[in-house]
Amino acid sequence: MQTNSKQKRSNNINLSKMRKAFSFKPLALGVASVLLSACSGGREEAVVFKSVDECVDALPGMAQKCETAYKGALAEAAKTAPKYNSRNDCEYEFGNNQCQTLNNNGNSIFMPLMAGYMIGNLLAPRPYYQPMFTSSSRYSSYRNNWVGADGRNFGDSRRNKLNVSSSAFDKKPAVTRTMSRGGFGSSVRAKASWGSRSSGKGWGG
Amino acid sequence: MARDYGFHFHTMHGQAYWDETAYYQFTLEQIERDLESPTEEIHQMCLHVVDVVSKSEEWLSKFAIPSDYWQAIADSWQAKEPSLYSRLDLVYDGKSPAKLLENNADTPTSLYESGFWQWLWLENNVDNNKLSKRADQFNSLQEKLVNRFKVIADYYGINYLHFACCKDTDEDRGTVQYLQDCAKEAGLIDYFVHIEDIGLGENGDLTDLQNQVISHCFKLYPWEFMQREEFGPHALKANTAWIEPIWKTILSNKALLPLLWQEFEGHPNLLPAFFESDVASMNALSDVKKWVKKPLYSREGANIDILENGKMSLSSSGPYGEEGFIYQAHTPLPKFANNYTLIGSWLVDDEAAGISVREDKSAITQDLSRYMPHIIL
Repeated sequence: MQTNSKQKRSNNINLSKMRKAFSFKPLALGVASVLLSACSGGREEAVVFKSVDECVDALPGMAQKCETAYKGALAEAAKTAPKYNSRNDCEYEFGNNQCQTLNNNGNSIFMPLMAGYMIGNLLAPRPYYQPMFTSSSRYSSYRNNWVGADGRNFGDSRRNKLNVSSSAFDKKPAVTRTMSRGGFGSSVRAKASWGSRSSGKGWGG
Repeated sequence: MARDYGFHFHTMHGQAYWDETAYYQFTLEQIERDLESPTEEIHQMCLHVVDVVSKSEEWLSKFAIPSDYWQAIADSWQAKEPSLYSRLDLVYDGKSPAKLLENNADTPTSLYESGFWQWLWLENNVDNNKLSKRADQFNSLQEKLVNRFKVIADYYGINYLHFACCKDTDEDRGTVQYLQDCAKEAGLIDYFVHIEDIGLGENGDLTDLQNQVISHCFKLYPWEFMQREEFGPHALKANTAWIEPIWKTILSNKALLPLLWQEFEGHPNLLPAFFESDVASMNALSDVKKWVKKPLYSREGANIDILENGKMSLSSSGPYGEEGFIYQAHTPLPKFANNYTLIGSWLVDDEAAGISVREDKSAITQDLSRYMPHIIL
Protein backbone atom coordinates (compact mmCIF):
# COMPACT_ATOMS: atom_id res chain seq x y z
CA MET A 1 0.00 0.00 0.00
CA GLN A 2 1.27 3.43 -0.85
CA THR A 3 1.30 6.06 1.81
CA ASN A 4 0.50 9.64 1.02
CA SER A 5 4.02 10.85 1.67
CA LYS A 6 5.19 8.45 -1.03
CA GLN A 7 2.79 9.80 -3.61
CA LYS A 8 4.61 10.76 -6.77
CA ARG A 9 2.08 13.18 -8.15
CA SER A 10 0.76 16.48 -6.88
CA ASN A 11 -2.30 16.12 -4.68
CA ASN A 12 -4.08 18.89 -6.39
CA ILE A 13 -3.50 21.29 -9.23
CA ASN A 14 -5.52 24.38 -9.97
CA LEU A 15 -7.78 23.29 -12.82
CA SER A 16 -9.79 26.47 -13.12
CA LYS A 17 -6.69 28.57 -13.80
CA MET A 18 -5.81 26.35 -16.74
CA ARG A 19 -9.26 26.36 -18.24
CA LYS A 20 -9.45 28.96 -20.98
CA ALA A 21 -11.95 31.70 -20.30
CA PHE A 22 -13.77 31.37 -23.60
CA SER A 23 -14.80 27.80 -22.98
CA PHE A 24 -16.31 27.97 -19.49
CA LYS A 25 -19.22 25.71 -18.88
CA PRO A 26 -21.90 26.95 -16.45
CA LEU A 27 -21.03 24.55 -13.63
CA ALA A 28 -17.34 25.27 -13.89
CA LEU A 29 -18.07 28.99 -13.88
CA GLY A 30 -19.62 28.71 -10.44
CA VAL A 31 -16.59 26.90 -9.09
CA ALA A 32 -14.12 29.16 -10.82
CA SER A 33 -15.68 32.40 -9.64
CA VAL A 34 -15.34 31.34 -6.02
CA LEU A 35 -11.67 30.59 -6.56
CA LEU A 36 -11.09 33.77 -8.49
CA SER A 37 -12.62 36.05 -5.91
CA ALA A 38 -10.62 34.30 -3.24
CA CYS A 39 -7.30 35.00 -4.87
CA SER A 40 -7.74 38.13 -6.93
CA GLY A 41 -7.40 40.38 -3.89
CA GLY A 42 -10.70 42.20 -4.27
CA ARG A 43 -11.22 45.94 -4.58
CA GLU A 44 -10.15 48.86 -2.51
CA GLU A 45 -10.68 52.56 -1.97
CA ALA A 46 -8.24 54.91 -3.63
CA VAL A 47 -8.06 58.70 -3.72
CA VAL A 48 -6.77 60.88 -6.55
CA PHE A 49 -5.10 64.20 -5.73
CA LYS A 50 -4.22 66.84 -8.29
CA SER A 51 -1.40 68.27 -6.17
CA VAL A 52 0.50 67.78 -2.93
CA ASP A 53 -1.48 70.69 -1.38
CA GLU A 54 -4.77 69.05 -2.22
CA CYS A 55 -3.51 65.87 -0.57
CA VAL A 56 -2.33 67.68 2.61
CA ASP A 57 -5.62 69.60 2.85
CA ALA A 58 -7.57 66.37 2.71
CA LEU A 59 -5.25 64.43 4.98
CA PRO A 60 -3.82 66.75 7.63
CA GLY A 61 -0.91 65.13 9.44
CA MET A 62 0.04 63.04 6.44
CA ALA A 63 2.09 65.65 4.62
CA GLN A 64 5.11 63.39 4.52
CA LYS A 65 3.16 60.60 2.83
CA CYS A 66 1.59 63.04 0.39
CA GLU A 67 5.01 64.33 -0.63
CA THR A 68 6.59 60.89 -0.95
CA ALA A 69 3.73 59.54 -3.02
CA TYR A 70 3.77 62.57 -5.30
CA LYS A 71 7.49 62.27 -6.00
CA GLY A 72 7.18 58.54 -6.49
CA ALA A 73 4.28 58.99 -8.90
CA LEU A 74 6.21 61.59 -10.91
CA ALA A 75 9.16 59.24 -11.28
CA GLU A 76 6.83 56.41 -12.21
CA ALA A 77 5.12 58.63 -14.79
CA ALA A 78 8.43 59.34 -16.51
CA LYS A 79 9.02 55.61 -16.75
CA THR A 80 5.62 54.17 -17.55
CA ALA A 81 3.54 56.90 -19.23
CA PRO A 82 2.72 56.39 -22.91
CA LYS A 83 5.42 57.90 -25.15
CA TYR A 84 4.93 59.50 -28.56
CA ASN A 85 7.18 60.43 -31.45
CA SER A 86 5.53 63.81 -31.98
CA ARG A 87 3.81 66.41 -29.86
CA ASN A 88 0.86 66.15 -32.27
CA ASP A 89 0.28 62.48 -31.59
CA CYS A 90 0.45 63.05 -27.85
CA GLU A 91 -1.88 66.04 -27.93
CA TYR A 92 -4.32 64.23 -30.17
CA GLU A 93 -4.83 61.77 -27.32
CA PHE A 94 -4.45 64.06 -24.30
CA GLY A 95 -5.34 67.55 -25.55
CA ASN A 96 -3.58 70.85 -26.23
CA ASN A 97 -0.80 71.75 -23.80
CA GLN A 98 -1.24 68.46 -21.99
CA CYS A 99 2.09 67.02 -23.14
CA GLN A 100 5.71 67.52 -22.15
CA THR A 101 8.97 66.88 -23.94
CA LEU A 102 11.45 64.32 -22.70
CA ASN A 103 14.97 64.61 -23.99
CA ASN A 104 16.57 61.31 -24.59
CA ASN A 105 20.04 61.12 -26.16
CA GLY A 106 19.33 64.26 -28.15
CA ASN A 107 16.01 62.93 -29.41
CA SER A 108 12.73 64.35 -28.21
CA ILE A 109 9.85 62.17 -27.20
CA PHE A 110 6.54 63.28 -25.81
CA MET A 111 4.41 62.10 -22.91
CA PRO A 112 1.32 63.45 -21.15
CA LEU A 113 1.73 65.61 -18.05
CA MET A 114 0.83 63.92 -14.82
CA ALA A 115 -2.59 65.27 -13.94
CA GLY A 116 -2.82 63.73 -10.51
CA TYR A 117 -1.72 60.81 -8.43
CA MET A 118 -3.74 58.02 -6.99
CA ILE A 119 -3.02 56.80 -3.45
CA GLY A 120 -4.28 53.57 -2.01
CA ASN A 121 -3.94 51.89 1.37
CA LEU A 122 -3.53 55.29 3.05
CA LEU A 123 -3.14 54.01 6.57
CA ALA A 124 -0.25 51.69 5.75
CA PRO A 125 3.28 52.89 6.48
CA ARG A 126 3.99 52.95 2.76
CA PRO A 127 0.84 53.68 0.79
CA TYR A 128 0.63 52.61 -2.86
CA TYR A 129 0.57 55.25 -5.53
CA GLN A 130 0.23 55.53 -9.31
CA PRO A 131 0.46 58.51 -11.67
CA MET A 132 -2.83 59.54 -13.27
CA PHE A 133 -3.45 61.34 -16.54
CA THR A 134 -6.47 62.93 -18.09
CA SER A 135 -7.46 64.14 -21.52
CA SER A 136 -9.11 67.30 -22.77
CA SER A 137 -9.02 66.13 -26.37
CA ARG A 138 -12.37 65.68 -28.03
CA TYR A 139 -10.83 62.94 -30.20
CA SER A 140 -10.02 60.80 -27.20
CA SER A 141 -12.09 58.20 -25.40
CA TYR A 142 -10.28 59.34 -22.25
CA ARG A 143 -11.76 62.85 -22.44
CA ASN A 144 -12.49 64.13 -18.89
CA ASN A 145 -11.64 60.74 -17.42
CA TRP A 146 -8.82 59.56 -15.19
CA VAL A 147 -6.46 57.27 -17.07
CA GLY A 148 -3.56 55.17 -15.78
CA ALA A 149 -0.16 54.84 -17.43
CA ASP A 150 -1.21 51.60 -19.07
CA GLY A 151 -4.35 53.14 -20.59
CA ARG A 152 -6.73 51.86 -17.96
CA ASN A 153 -9.76 54.16 -17.75
CA PHE A 154 -10.78 55.01 -14.17
CA GLY A 155 -13.85 57.04 -15.10
CA ASP A 156 -14.98 60.64 -14.57
CA SER A 157 -12.11 62.91 -13.59
CA ARG A 158 -14.40 65.11 -11.44
CA ARG A 159 -14.51 62.27 -8.92
CA ASN A 160 -11.52 61.86 -6.66
CA LYS A 161 -12.59 58.81 -4.67
CA LEU A 162 -12.23 55.67 -6.73
CA ASN A 163 -13.05 52.07 -6.08
CA VAL A 164 -10.31 50.17 -7.84
CA SER A 165 -9.12 46.59 -7.99
CA SER A 166 -5.89 46.21 -6.07
CA SER A 167 -4.11 45.31 -9.31
CA ALA A 168 -4.43 49.01 -10.25
CA PHE A 169 -1.38 49.57 -8.04
CA ASP A 170 0.77 46.80 -9.50
CA LYS A 171 4.17 47.88 -10.69
CA LYS A 172 4.16 48.30 -14.46
CA PRO A 173 6.90 47.90 -17.06
CA ALA A 174 8.64 51.05 -18.24
CA VAL A 175 7.56 52.38 -21.63
CA THR A 176 9.94 53.71 -24.26
CA ARG A 177 10.04 54.50 -27.96
CA THR A 178 10.78 51.56 -30.24
CA MET A 179 13.28 52.34 -33.00
CA SER A 180 13.09 49.08 -34.97
CA ARG A 181 11.55 45.63 -34.88
CA GLY A 182 12.20 42.27 -36.44
CA GLY A 183 15.75 41.65 -35.17
CA PHE A 184 14.78 38.24 -33.84
CA GLY A 185 13.28 35.39 -35.83
CA SER A 186 15.50 35.30 -38.91
CA SER A 187 16.81 31.80 -38.08
CA VAL A 188 13.26 30.51 -38.17
CA ARG A 189 12.60 32.15 -41.51
CA ALA A 190 15.81 30.67 -42.92
CA LYS A 191 15.16 27.18 -41.61
CA ALA A 192 11.47 27.20 -42.45
CA SER A 193 12.37 27.65 -46.10
CA TRP A 194 14.32 24.43 -45.86
CA GLY A 195 11.30 22.36 -46.66
CA SER A 196 9.58 19.79 -44.54
CA ARG A 197 8.47 22.04 -41.71
CA SER A 198 4.73 22.26 -41.62
CA SER A 199 2.92 25.05 -39.86
CA GLY A 200 1.88 24.51 -36.28
CA LYS A 201 5.09 22.82 -35.25
CA GLY A 202 7.29 24.94 -33.05
CA TRP A 203 10.99 25.40 -32.43
CA GLY A 204 11.02 23.92 -29.00
CA GLY A 205 12.30 20.40 -28.52
CA MET B 1 -12.69 17.98 -23.13
CA ALA B 2 -9.32 18.87 -24.62
CA ARG B 3 -10.67 22.04 -26.19
CA ASP B 4 -12.12 23.28 -22.90
CA TYR B 5 -8.57 23.62 -21.70
CA GLY B 6 -7.26 25.17 -24.87
CA PHE B 7 -5.59 21.96 -26.03
CA HIS B 8 -5.49 22.71 -29.73
CA PHE B 9 -2.61 20.64 -30.98
CA HIS B 10 -3.75 17.14 -30.12
CA THR B 11 -3.58 16.11 -33.74
CA MET B 12 -0.62 17.12 -35.83
CA HIS B 13 0.21 16.12 -39.38
CA GLY B 14 -3.14 14.29 -39.36
CA GLN B 15 -1.94 11.79 -36.77
CA ALA B 16 -3.16 11.59 -33.22
CA TYR B 17 -0.60 13.28 -30.98
CA TRP B 18 -2.39 12.39 -27.79
CA ASP B 19 -3.63 8.87 -27.27
CA GLU B 20 -5.80 8.28 -24.22
CA THR B 21 -6.88 4.75 -25.07
CA ALA B 22 -3.62 3.26 -23.84
CA TYR B 23 -1.11 4.00 -21.13
CA TYR B 24 2.23 2.84 -19.75
CA GLN B 25 2.44 1.27 -16.32
CA PHE B 26 5.51 1.48 -14.06
CA THR B 27 6.30 0.20 -10.59
CA LEU B 28 7.30 2.68 -7.92
CA GLU B 29 10.74 1.11 -7.84
CA GLN B 30 11.20 1.60 -11.60
CA ILE B 31 10.24 5.24 -11.24
CA GLU B 32 12.37 6.04 -8.22
CA ARG B 33 15.43 3.89 -8.88
CA ASP B 34 15.59 4.00 -12.68
CA LEU B 35 14.20 7.41 -13.59
CA GLU B 36 13.87 9.89 -10.73
CA SER B 37 17.31 9.50 -9.13
CA PRO B 38 19.23 9.13 -12.41
CA THR B 39 17.49 12.25 -13.75
CA GLU B 40 18.78 14.36 -10.86
CA GLU B 41 22.20 12.74 -11.07
CA ILE B 42 22.51 13.33 -14.83
CA HIS B 43 21.45 16.93 -14.26
CA GLN B 44 24.25 17.40 -11.72
CA MET B 45 26.75 15.93 -14.20
CA CYS B 46 25.45 18.35 -16.82
CA LEU B 47 25.94 21.29 -14.45
CA HIS B 48 29.51 20.13 -13.95
CA VAL B 49 29.96 20.34 -17.73
CA VAL B 50 28.53 23.87 -17.71
CA ASP B 51 31.12 24.78 -15.10
CA VAL B 52 33.96 23.31 -17.18
CA VAL B 53 32.86 24.79 -20.51
CA SER B 54 31.95 28.26 -19.20
CA LYS B 55 35.54 28.67 -17.97
CA SER B 56 37.30 27.41 -21.09
CA GLU B 57 37.61 29.25 -24.37
CA GLU B 58 38.70 26.04 -26.02
CA TRP B 59 35.49 24.27 -25.04
CA LEU B 60 33.29 27.26 -25.83
CA SER B 61 34.63 27.31 -29.37
CA LYS B 62 34.30 23.54 -29.70
CA PHE B 63 30.65 23.99 -28.72
CA ALA B 64 30.39 26.45 -31.67
CA ILE B 65 29.19 29.23 -29.39
CA PRO B 66 29.91 32.69 -30.90
CA SER B 67 32.71 34.37 -28.93
CA ASP B 68 30.66 37.53 -28.34
CA TYR B 69 28.60 35.53 -25.86
CA TRP B 70 31.34 33.78 -23.89
CA GLN B 71 31.63 36.41 -21.19
CA ALA B 72 27.86 36.64 -20.76
CA ILE B 73 27.64 32.87 -20.40
CA ALA B 74 30.41 32.81 -17.79
CA ASP B 75 28.82 35.71 -15.89
CA SER B 76 25.35 34.17 -16.01
CA TRP B 77 26.71 30.89 -14.68
CA GLN B 78 28.77 32.56 -11.95
CA ALA B 79 25.75 34.61 -10.88
CA LYS B 80 23.70 31.37 -10.75
CA GLU B 81 20.91 32.96 -12.80
CA PRO B 82 17.85 30.84 -12.07
CA SER B 83 16.68 28.20 -14.52
CA LEU B 84 13.06 27.15 -14.85
CA TYR B 85 12.96 23.70 -16.38
CA SER B 86 14.55 21.02 -18.61
CA ARG B 87 13.61 17.73 -20.16
CA LEU B 88 16.02 14.80 -20.44
CA ASP B 89 15.21 12.30 -23.17
CA LEU B 90 15.93 8.82 -21.86
CA VAL B 91 15.94 5.36 -23.41
CA TYR B 92 14.49 2.99 -20.84
CA ASP B 93 13.24 -0.56 -21.32
CA GLY B 94 11.93 -1.11 -17.80
CA LYS B 95 14.93 -3.23 -16.70
CA SER B 96 18.30 -1.78 -17.67
CA PRO B 97 19.67 1.61 -16.63
CA ALA B 98 18.08 4.48 -18.50
CA LYS B 99 20.42 6.06 -21.07
CA LEU B 100 20.58 9.77 -21.78
CA LEU B 101 19.87 10.52 -25.45
CA GLU B 102 19.86 14.28 -25.10
CA ASN B 103 19.08 17.19 -22.83
CA ASN B 104 16.40 19.68 -23.90
CA ALA B 105 17.50 22.34 -21.46
CA ASP B 106 16.70 25.53 -23.33
CA THR B 107 13.33 25.16 -25.07
CA PRO B 108 11.52 21.99 -23.99
CA THR B 109 7.92 21.56 -25.16
CA SER B 110 5.13 19.03 -24.54
CA LEU B 111 4.94 20.46 -21.05
CA TYR B 112 1.20 20.97 -20.94
CA GLU B 113 0.51 17.39 -21.92
CA SER B 114 2.78 16.17 -19.14
CA GLY B 115 2.04 18.52 -16.30
CA PHE B 116 -1.64 19.08 -16.79
CA TRP B 117 -3.34 16.82 -19.28
CA GLN B 118 -1.76 13.60 -18.06
CA TRP B 119 -2.60 14.46 -14.46
CA LEU B 120 -6.21 15.16 -15.37
CA TRP B 121 -6.41 11.93 -17.36
CA LEU B 122 -5.43 9.90 -14.31
CA GLU B 123 -7.79 11.80 -12.02
CA ASN B 124 -10.72 11.20 -14.38
CA ASN B 125 -9.96 7.54 -14.89
CA VAL B 126 -9.66 6.92 -11.17
CA ASP B 127 -12.89 8.82 -10.50
CA ASN B 128 -14.69 6.74 -13.15
CA ASN B 129 -13.31 3.49 -11.67
CA LYS B 130 -11.45 2.73 -14.88
CA LEU B 131 -8.19 2.69 -12.95
CA SER B 132 -7.35 1.48 -9.46
CA LYS B 133 -7.62 4.01 -6.66
CA ARG B 134 -4.03 3.13 -5.84
CA ALA B 135 -2.84 4.21 -9.28
CA ASP B 136 -0.35 7.04 -8.99
CA GLN B 137 1.70 9.02 -11.48
CA PHE B 138 5.20 10.51 -11.45
CA ASN B 139 4.03 14.05 -11.98
CA SER B 140 4.51 17.07 -9.73
CA LEU B 141 5.40 19.21 -12.70
CA GLN B 142 2.75 21.91 -12.53
CA GLU B 143 3.05 22.33 -8.77
CA LYS B 144 6.82 22.66 -9.05
CA LEU B 145 6.60 25.11 -11.97
CA VAL B 146 4.30 27.39 -10.00
CA ASN B 147 6.62 27.28 -7.01
CA ARG B 148 9.64 27.89 -9.19
CA PHE B 149 8.02 30.99 -10.69
CA LYS B 150 7.60 32.30 -7.14
CA VAL B 151 11.29 31.75 -6.45
CA ILE B 152 12.31 33.43 -9.72
CA ALA B 153 9.99 36.39 -8.98
CA ASP B 154 11.65 36.81 -5.58
CA TYR B 155 15.12 36.45 -7.03
CA TYR B 156 14.57 39.29 -9.50
CA GLY B 157 12.12 41.25 -7.32
CA ILE B 158 9.50 41.33 -10.08
CA ASN B 159 5.73 41.21 -10.17
CA TYR B 160 5.46 40.86 -13.94
CA LEU B 161 7.16 38.81 -16.62
CA HIS B 162 7.17 38.83 -20.41
CA PHE B 163 6.69 35.63 -22.39
CA ALA B 164 7.75 35.12 -26.01
CA CYS B 165 7.67 32.53 -28.77
CA CYS B 166 7.54 32.47 -32.57
CA LYS B 167 4.52 33.18 -34.72
CA ASP B 168 2.54 30.44 -36.43
CA THR B 169 3.40 27.67 -34.01
CA ASP B 170 0.38 26.34 -32.15
CA GLU B 171 2.52 23.98 -30.15
CA ASP B 172 4.95 26.62 -28.88
CA ARG B 173 2.15 29.09 -28.20
CA GLY B 174 0.32 26.40 -26.24
CA THR B 175 3.40 25.66 -24.16
CA VAL B 176 3.98 29.34 -23.46
CA GLN B 177 0.32 29.93 -22.60
CA TYR B 178 0.55 27.10 -20.12
CA LEU B 179 3.63 28.64 -18.52
CA GLN B 180 1.85 32.02 -18.42
CA ASP B 181 -0.98 30.31 -16.53
CA CYS B 182 1.53 28.81 -14.09
CA ALA B 183 3.20 32.20 -13.62
CA LYS B 184 -0.18 33.84 -12.98
CA GLU B 185 -0.90 31.26 -10.36
CA ALA B 186 2.42 32.22 -8.78
CA GLY B 187 1.13 35.80 -8.57
CA LEU B 188 2.93 37.28 -11.57
CA ILE B 189 1.37 39.52 -14.20
CA ASP B 190 2.11 38.11 -17.66
CA TYR B 191 2.72 39.93 -20.93
CA PHE B 192 3.11 38.16 -24.25
CA VAL B 193 5.05 39.19 -27.35
CA HIS B 194 5.98 37.23 -30.47
CA ILE B 195 9.74 36.85 -30.98
CA GLU B 196 9.48 38.49 -34.41
CA ASP B 197 7.70 41.53 -32.94
CA ILE B 198 10.30 42.31 -30.28
CA GLY B 199 11.53 45.87 -30.79
CA LEU B 200 14.68 47.76 -29.99
CA GLY B 201 13.89 50.87 -27.95
CA GLU B 202 15.73 54.05 -27.29
CA ASN B 203 18.55 53.42 -24.78
CA GLY B 204 18.90 49.90 -26.18
CA ASP B 205 16.02 48.32 -24.29
CA LEU B 206 14.01 45.54 -25.88
CA THR B 207 10.30 46.32 -26.21
CA ASP B 208 6.98 44.60 -26.78
CA LEU B 209 4.28 45.81 -29.18
CA GLN B 210 2.98 48.25 -26.53
CA ASN B 211 6.49 49.74 -26.31
CA GLN B 212 6.84 48.37 -22.81
CA VAL B 213 10.41 47.56 -21.84
CA ILE B 214 11.05 43.82 -21.67
CA SER B 215 13.05 43.66 -18.47
CA HIS B 216 12.50 39.98 -17.69
CA CYS B 217 11.48 37.44 -20.29
CA PHE B 218 10.70 33.76 -20.64
CA LYS B 219 11.53 32.85 -24.24
CA LEU B 220 10.63 29.60 -25.95
CA TYR B 221 13.23 30.34 -28.61
CA PRO B 222 16.68 28.77 -28.81
CA TRP B 223 19.66 30.75 -27.57
CA GLU B 224 21.68 29.50 -30.53
CA PHE B 225 19.23 31.25 -32.86
CA MET B 226 19.19 34.47 -30.83
CA GLN B 227 22.98 34.57 -30.73
CA ARG B 228 23.13 34.56 -34.53
CA GLU B 229 20.45 37.19 -35.14
CA GLU B 230 20.54 40.96 -35.49
CA PHE B 231 19.17 41.67 -32.01
CA GLY B 232 21.38 39.03 -30.37
CA PRO B 233 23.90 41.55 -29.00
CA HIS B 234 21.00 43.62 -27.64
CA ALA B 235 19.70 40.60 -25.76
CA LEU B 236 22.78 41.14 -23.57
CA LYS B 237 23.17 44.93 -23.70
CA ALA B 238 19.54 45.56 -22.80
CA ASN B 239 20.15 43.95 -19.42
CA THR B 240 17.07 41.83 -19.96
CA ALA B 241 16.99 38.87 -17.60
CA TRP B 242 16.19 35.75 -19.61
CA ILE B 243 14.55 32.50 -18.66
CA GLU B 244 16.12 30.17 -19.56
CA PRO B 245 19.36 31.95 -18.66
CA ILE B 246 22.11 32.14 -21.25
CA TRP B 247 24.30 29.54 -19.50
CA LYS B 248 21.82 26.96 -20.78
CA THR B 249 23.35 27.48 -24.23
CA ILE B 250 25.91 24.91 -23.12
CA LEU B 251 23.33 22.25 -22.20
CA SER B 252 21.10 22.44 -25.25
CA ASN B 253 24.11 21.69 -27.42
CA LYS B 254 24.89 18.11 -28.52
CA ALA B 255 28.57 18.73 -27.72
CA LEU B 256 27.38 18.19 -24.17
CA LEU B 257 27.23 14.45 -24.89
CA PRO B 258 30.90 13.79 -25.75
CA LEU B 259 32.05 16.02 -22.90
CA LEU B 260 29.78 14.20 -20.44
CA TRP B 261 31.32 10.94 -21.63
CA GLN B 262 34.82 12.34 -21.24
CA GLU B 263 34.14 13.55 -17.69
CA PHE B 264 32.07 10.57 -16.51
CA GLU B 265 33.15 7.75 -18.82
CA GLY B 266 31.36 4.49 -18.10
CA HIS B 267 28.52 6.03 -16.09
CA PRO B 268 25.55 3.63 -16.38
CA ASN B 269 23.19 6.36 -17.60
CA LEU B 270 25.49 7.66 -20.34
CA LEU B 271 26.14 6.43 -23.87
CA PRO B 272 29.64 6.65 -25.37
CA ALA B 273 29.86 9.83 -27.43
CA PHE B 274 32.64 11.62 -29.32
CA PHE B 275 33.32 14.69 -31.39
CA GLU B 276 33.55 13.96 -35.11
CA SER B 277 37.28 14.69 -34.95
CA ASP B 278 37.78 11.83 -32.53
CA VAL B 279 37.38 8.88 -34.93
CA ALA B 280 40.22 6.99 -33.24
CA SER B 281 38.30 6.73 -29.97
CA MET B 282 35.21 5.52 -31.79
CA ASN B 283 37.15 2.82 -33.60
CA ALA B 284 38.73 1.75 -30.32
CA LEU B 285 35.29 0.88 -28.93
CA SER B 286 34.93 -2.27 -30.98
CA ASP B 287 31.77 -3.44 -29.23
CA VAL B 288 29.82 -0.44 -30.56
CA LYS B 289 28.71 -1.35 -34.07
CA LYS B 290 26.35 1.51 -34.72
CA TRP B 291 26.85 5.23 -34.20
CA VAL B 292 24.29 7.99 -34.42
CA LYS B 293 25.49 11.20 -36.04
CA LYS B 294 23.87 14.31 -34.57
CA PRO B 295 24.38 17.97 -35.48
CA LEU B 296 25.57 20.13 -32.55
CA TYR B 297 22.39 22.14 -32.88
CA SER B 298 19.26 20.18 -33.68
CA ARG B 299 16.00 19.33 -32.04
CA GLU B 300 13.38 16.63 -32.15
CA GLY B 301 15.30 14.07 -34.13
CA ALA B 302 15.99 16.34 -37.10
CA ASN B 303 19.09 15.53 -39.20
CA ILE B 304 20.00 12.43 -37.27
CA ASP B 305 21.84 9.75 -39.23
CA ILE B 306 22.61 6.24 -38.13
CA LEU B 307 26.03 4.98 -39.15
CA GLU B 308 26.29 1.21 -39.35
CA ASN B 309 29.63 -0.40 -40.17
CA GLY B 310 30.65 2.84 -41.82
CA LYS B 311 27.46 3.15 -43.87
CA MET B 312 24.58 5.59 -43.42
CA SER B 313 21.06 4.37 -42.91
CA LEU B 314 17.70 5.76 -41.81
CA SER B 315 18.44 9.43 -42.14
CA SER B 316 15.86 11.95 -40.94
CA SER B 317 15.71 15.17 -42.88
CA GLY B 318 15.90 18.59 -41.31
CA PRO B 319 17.47 22.00 -41.53
CA TYR B 320 20.39 21.52 -39.14
CA GLY B 321 24.05 20.67 -39.26
CA GLU B 322 26.06 23.70 -40.32
CA GLU B 323 27.84 23.93 -36.94
CA GLY B 324 29.28 20.42 -36.94
CA PHE B 325 28.44 16.98 -35.59
CA ILE B 326 28.98 14.55 -32.77
CA TYR B 327 28.65 10.76 -32.68
CA GLN B 328 26.75 8.88 -30.00
CA ALA B 329 26.68 5.10 -29.59
CA HIS B 330 23.42 3.80 -30.96
CA THR B 331 21.04 2.25 -28.49
CA PRO B 332 17.77 0.87 -29.80
CA LEU B 333 14.55 2.37 -28.46
CA PRO B 334 12.56 -0.33 -26.67
CA LYS B 335 9.64 -1.61 -28.69
CA PHE B 336 6.27 -2.26 -27.08
CA ALA B 337 3.40 -3.47 -29.30
CA ASN B 338 5.10 -2.27 -32.50
CA ASN B 339 5.85 1.18 -31.13
CA TYR B 340 9.23 2.62 -30.18
CA THR B 341 9.15 4.35 -26.82
CA LEU B 342 11.05 7.36 -25.48
CA ILE B 343 10.87 8.77 -21.94
CA GLY B 344 10.93 12.51 -21.37
CA SER B 345 12.06 13.13 -17.81
CA TRP B 346 11.32 16.60 -16.47
CA LEU B 347 13.33 18.75 -14.14
CA VAL B 348 12.17 21.96 -12.54
CA ASP B 349 15.39 23.69 -11.58
CA ASP B 350 17.37 20.71 -10.27
CA GLU B 351 14.50 18.55 -9.02
CA ALA B 352 13.04 15.64 -10.98
CA ALA B 353 9.39 16.53 -11.52
CA GLY B 354 7.81 13.76 -13.56
CA ILE B 355 7.91 11.92 -16.85
CA SER B 356 6.14 11.84 -20.16
CA VAL B 357 6.12 8.91 -22.55
CA ARG B 358 6.14 9.31 -26.30
CA GLU B 359 6.01 6.65 -28.93
CA ASP B 360 6.49 6.42 -32.64
CA LYS B 361 6.34 3.86 -35.42
CA SER B 362 9.85 4.86 -36.50
CA ALA B 363 13.09 4.29 -34.57
CA ILE B 364 13.97 7.99 -34.69
CA THR B 365 11.54 9.94 -32.58
CA GLN B 366 10.11 12.79 -34.59
CA ASP B 367 8.05 15.66 -33.36
CA LEU B 368 4.81 14.03 -34.42
CA SER B 369 5.34 11.22 -31.94
CA ARG B 370 2.29 10.19 -29.99
CA TYR B 371 2.11 11.29 -26.40
CA MET B 372 1.06 8.59 -23.90
CA PRO B 373 -0.03 8.90 -20.26
CA HIS B 374 1.48 6.67 -17.58
CA ILE B 375 0.55 5.29 -14.18
CA ILE B 376 2.45 3.86 -11.24
CA LEU B 377 0.90 0.72 -9.78
